Amino acid sequence: MAQLLKTTKFIESQIDAFLDIVSDSATLFQLAMDDYVKGRIEQFEERLAQIREHESKADDLRVSIERFLYERTLIPENRGDVLAILENTDEVIDNIKDSLLQFSIEMPQIPVELDDLWMQTTKASVFAVEQLTFAVRSFFRDLPAVNNYIHKVYFFEREADMIGEKLRRQIFGLDIELSLKSQLRFFAIHIEKISDYAQAVCDRLAIYTIKRQL
Amino acid sequence: MIFFYLISGLFLGWSFGAKDTANIFGSAVETKMIRFKTAALISAIFVTLGALLEGGGPSATLTRLGSVNEIGGAFTIALAAAATITLMVKIGIPVATSQTLAGAIIGWNYFAGRLTDFSSLAAIAGSWILAPVLGGICAAILFFIFRAYLNRVNVHLLEQDFWTRFWLLIIGAFGAYSLGANNIANIVGVFIPVNPFRDILIPGLGTLSGLTQLFLLGSISIVVGIYTYSQKIMKTVGKELFSLSPITALIAVLSESIVLFLFSSQGLHDLALRLGLPPIPLVPVSASQIIVGAVLGIGLAKGGKNIRYHLLGKISFGWVAAPVLAFLFSFLTLFIFQNVFEMRVQQIPHFVFNRTTITEIERRGYDTRKLSTVNGRSFDNELALYKELDKNALYQRPELLALIRVTELYPLVIDPELLRRGGHLKRFSKDQLQAVQELDGKEFKHKWQLRNALAKYPAWQHRSEPATDKDREHNKQLDNRLELLYSSFYKPKKL
Repeated sequence: MAQLLKTTKFIESQIDAFLDIVSDSATLFQLAMDDYVKGRIEQFEERLAQIREHESKADDLRVSIERFLYERTLIPENRGDVLAILENTDEVIDNIKDSLLQFSIEMPQIPVELDDLWMQTTKASVFAVEQLTFAVRSFFRDLPAVNNYIHKVYFFEREADMIGEKLRRQIFGLDIELSLKSQLRFFAIHIEKISDYAQAVCDRLAIYTIKRQL
Repeated sequence: MIFFYLISGLFLGWSFGAKDTANIFGSAVETKMIRFKTAALISAIFVTLGALLEGGGPSATLTRLGSVNEIGGAFTIALAAAATITLMVKIGIPVATSQTLAGAIIGWNYFAGRLTDFSSLAAIAGSWILAPVLGGICAAILFFIFRAYLNRVNVHLLEQDFWTRFWLLIIGAFGAYSLGANNIANIVGVFIPVNPFRDILIPGLGTLSGLTQLFLLGSISIVVGIYTYSQKIMKTVGKELFSLSPITALIAVLSESIVLFLFSSQGLHDLALRLGLPPIPLVPVSASQIIVGAVLGIGLAKGGKNIRYHLLGKISFGWVAAPVLAFLFSFLTLFIFQNVFEMRVQQIPHFVFNRTTITEIERRGYDTRKLSTVNGRSFDNELALYKELDKNALYQRPELLALIRVTELYPLVIDPELLRRGGHLKRFSKDQLQAVQELDGKEFKHKWQLRNALAKYPAWQHRSEPATDKDREHNKQLDNRLELLYSSFYKPKKL
């Protein structure tokens, strides 16, 4: 039993580490966007490298947690749900990394007029991801609090959609080439999508929370 | 040959091990919280410990329902009960061992022309209702306590999982212990009056009594049942009526263990009496029924939405069908074994109305003028005698039963050594044993003669007008001990 308790504590620390990475990645995304918008490309590339590293670590942690849960037949009733939460949350990091990578490859020119809305959309998506990590942590430790965080995620997702729509309208209202408009729209949608992923995880989390309630 | 007869008891033990331990650990194994191997090992250890350390309590109740006086009869009863349980389990209906056994004993009563003690039957049948109801109430209360606790204490899901496993093991062990203590009487109870085992002296450790050996054999058969068949049954327990989570499985097992303990702990029983509280009767109850009650209690506490109510009908049907089927099986097999295999399944009783018995009846304050039609006659069928006495409706049923008990010939030869060999010494006080010792070698033709002889000693005196539960319990305990003396000193060939 002592060994089992030790394993339990170890997996708990791994889950916490995984969620820390998700949260850090979201913050790094915001900082990277800020660097990009302000033209600090070198610093932007450093952030991208950090996020790549985070993404790889998150994958390793997720696989390790999954292996432990299956090998030790822990939380048999909730194992499937927990694995689904971890996998879906991992997709959020993947999406963050993919967005930044796409910026690094295409280097779109963002007109100065768009800076404010661009950063507002980014912040709304990042807040959604941060609230998601709180919700997932609560799912493990404080079940009654989960719904509060889920509510916040939904709020920031709607906020990201609303500001994102404004951003896209402003893009197509600018006097720039259509090809650039189309490219910027693609990136704006990419940023909005991060909050959509966070919302998708929360949709599942809400059901798993009901299942876990006594 | 005598050991051959125990085979049916072992068959009963096997079916019990397969069926009832599944009720303890079924939900834990099914929710994958505990591996079957672990559950089986813990059940095996604790059922055996419970049977050996605290198994004597409820065994007296079944003996009162029908005093099976021939090992062939005990063999057939156990066989009929085991066959019924196996059949019901095969068709997927949960049944209670105690109910099935009661049905089989009543079958023997009818076959042997013996009267059934309806007051004992009422006590046992009452527990069949009381136990699941208590299980349900206990589970519902525990459910609310657990929910409030878990909502207040922020425990990590994985730690909650760890502690749930830990407590499932501990409470499962407690449940298995209580199950062994409460139900060993079901398995070998009918063999107690005809126990073939003698005391074994183990140097340096003490004496292994005959009764303990009998209980140990019963426990071994339960363990075999656990390892060979319970895994199959575990898969259906806790899934059919209501789907259990690990926490609700823990609540169900805890409720079951508490109720089993309430019905089997002599210590708790004595404590209730000392505190002036009404004691819970020490009767063998059904783990299957308690778990159904507990699962239903949890289901109702959760709002009653996901309970598969149609299954309740099936389960209730089993509770009625099992004793009826066991009754029929018992009657039929007794008939076949006696008439086809010429097996002795009963000792023919004798009831005499002579000077001695009429004087005793008179001494007890009954009007003996009403007995003119039977005076000087003897009967060898209890039922026939009852009908004869009841013909003119001169006595009430309790009076008739008392008269019949007085007239029954039951030759006894006092030999205190038999108590030691049977492992019964710990059931008596020092003064009581001293009184029995003083009667060493004496012979009696009727049970009441021994009772009267012992009544001269303060340790064997009944409370004449029991006003409190404590007094009534005192009398009940004395009656139980007297029954043990009767079965131990019964010597039909000496006459």
